[in-house]
Amino acid sequence: MNLGYLAYRNMISKPLNLVLSLLLLVLSVSLVTFILQLSKQLNGELNKNIAPVDMVVGAKGSPLQLVLSSVLHIDAPTGNIKLEEAEQIKKHPFVGSAIPISYGDNYKGYRILGTEMDYFENYNAVLKEGRFFSTSFEVVIGGSVAKKLGLKVGDSFTSSHGLAATGGEAHEDHPFTVVGLLEPTGTVIDQLLVCNLESIWDAHAHEDGEHDENREAHGDEEHDHEEDAHEHSEDGHDHEHGDDEHDHEHGDEEDDHEEEHAEELEITSLLVKFESPLGLVQLPRFINENTNMQAALPGFEIQRLMGLMGSGVKTINGIALAILLVSGFSIFISLLKTIRERRQELALLRTYGLGTRKLLYLVLVEGLLLAFFGFLLGWLLGRLALLLVSEYIESGYGYVLALNGPDFTEFLFFVATLVIAIVAVILASTSIFKLNISKTLSDV
Amino acid sequence: MVKTADLHFEYPGGESFTFPDIALPPKEHLLILGPSGIGKTTLLHLLSGILPASRGIISIDGVEITSLNRKALDEFRGANIGLVFQQYHYVKSLNVEENLKLRQHFPKKLVDKERRIAIAERLGLGDHLNKKVTELSQGQQQRLSIALGLIHRPKVVFADEPTSNLDDSNCEQVLTLLKDEADLCESSLVIITHDHRVTQHFSNQIVL
Repeated sequence: MNLGYLAYRNMISKPLNLVLSLLLLVLSVSLVTFILQLSKQLNGELNKNIAPVDMVVGAKGSPLQLVLSSVLHIDAPTGNIKLEEAEQIKKHPFVGSAIPISYGDNYKGYRILGTEMDYFENYNAVLKEGRFFSTSFEVVIGGSVAKKLGLKVGDSFTSSHGLAATGGEAHEDHPFTVVGLLEPTGTVIDQLLVCNLESIWDAHAHEDGEHDENREAHGDEEHDHEEDAHEHSEDGHDHEHGDDEHDHEHGDEEDDHEEEHAEELEITSLLVKFESPLGLVQLPRFINENTNMQAALPGFEIQRLMGLMGSGVKTINGIALAILLVSGFSIFISLLKTIRERRQELALLRTYGLGTRKLLYLVLVEGLLLAFFGFLLGWLLGRLALLLVSEYIESGYGYVLALNGPDFTEFLFFVATLVIAIVAVILASTSIFKLNISKTLSDV
Repeated sequence: MVKTADLHFEYPGGESFTFPDIALPPKEHLLILGPSGIGKTTLLHLLSGILPASRGIISIDGVEITSLNRKALDEFRGANIGLVFQQYHYVKSLNVEENLKLRQHFPKKLVDKERRIAIAERLGLGDHLNKKVTELSQGQQQRLSIALGLIHRPKVVFADEPTSNLDDSNCEQVLTLLKDEADLCESSLVIITHDHRVTQHFSNQIVL
């Protein structure tokens, strides 16, 4: 029968009071740990995903949107750029690798991305099963997509227009065939269905070319034939308005002569990795000033985004800390009430031979137990919230939030909670020193 | 065992009491009898050291408790004095047995399960050891109070009005229990009461 046990029994003797004094603490701890973990992990996920890309070149518009769409695959693209112009950038000596990507379709909400083989290398994606694509309408699918949609090598499906699962019109004439499955990488590629650029061009070329019966017969080779309708080439400029990137009239391109053909082909953006750090200094400015494309730096844009989110995180943390202080106050009130209610018991313990210091210790242990259990429950609740949000974020954005053990910040927060409890105990226990045993025991 | 000389107490309000000298040999019983308001409880609190005397000397088992500091006094009281209160006091969050255990633990750290069970059996609490103290009947609470006053084998037990709330048969029973337990522990027993039914049980009496 030590004092710690007695403190514990005292604490749980009035469950309702206990719940009341724990509630605020649990709330504040869960809020703080949840927000800390969420922002830390999202930050980590974002950084992991933008790391392979130094610069994105795409259509003019919001640079943040360009980064979100082309690197993180969570926003609509800003529009299209001409492959020809993008190829120019590739030749620049400061550029190490430049990977074109092209969008347009989705399958059940997962984006179909047309790109080149380098894209896999960039994200260190390796095959788990099957092979990489070799011709159009062959698709290699990311780890999460495979799991979520249950696709296997050999399956085929028809894509639908646009980037969202709903509303798009289906491209029924050009089914995609799954030829490979990727190992999960923990990056955006897990959420993508990757094919070659031609597949994207062809899918849309076909759709726009309905006025020309001839094309049906040519299948995948559509770009290469020479047909009439040179006059359409002027219309190519219309593609550049950003909103409706799938409305572009590929039909024009195929109708052009072969020498003009490459010039009119479009991609959504170009993902650039610099060869020399000088590229970072010179290229973005050069592109933004001298071409009708824009260059965005993912690192910079994401930092800007986190800066914006950071103030939100700070606000929530501020609120949570305010709740923590209030919860410290509620622990103080609860201990004060406990001491008042139990003053006869405390006086009795004095007659048992316990000095004031031991009584103080008894109250201290009770306060610390409250703080400890409050923190523990709050921490668990925070992790539970993370788990729930994780489901949502994973299905929405493909980011997997890990359930980590306590980290250093949380440890500091735990210490702060204990300190608040100790202050509460000291403030609440002054009456212990003034306890009049004789009077307290005679009071009925 | 209990010795006082020139004992005087004054409340801050001005009410003051002077008590006759007491000299009680070891293992003996003493009845202090007096009407309400004469300072009986005050005397008992002085003797047990939970109220400091304004003047005079109290010595228990040869130790002058009036000259001990607070910490030494707490320890001395815990080890050598048993108290049976008029209002029943115990720790409500603990059950009957745990309350007895708690009393055994401080300050001698003598945790003796057999003694706990034996004393509970003798006082008719054997079947109630696992009950919450608040679930006990009035009479059971009274007997628990006696057990708590004696379980740690104190040198002297002070009992404040142990019989005032009881009917005649219970009064007899409680007095017998108190005396028998005190004899078993070889403790001196001091009972303070206004209850005249008690007088016939004690040869050694002081009237205030």
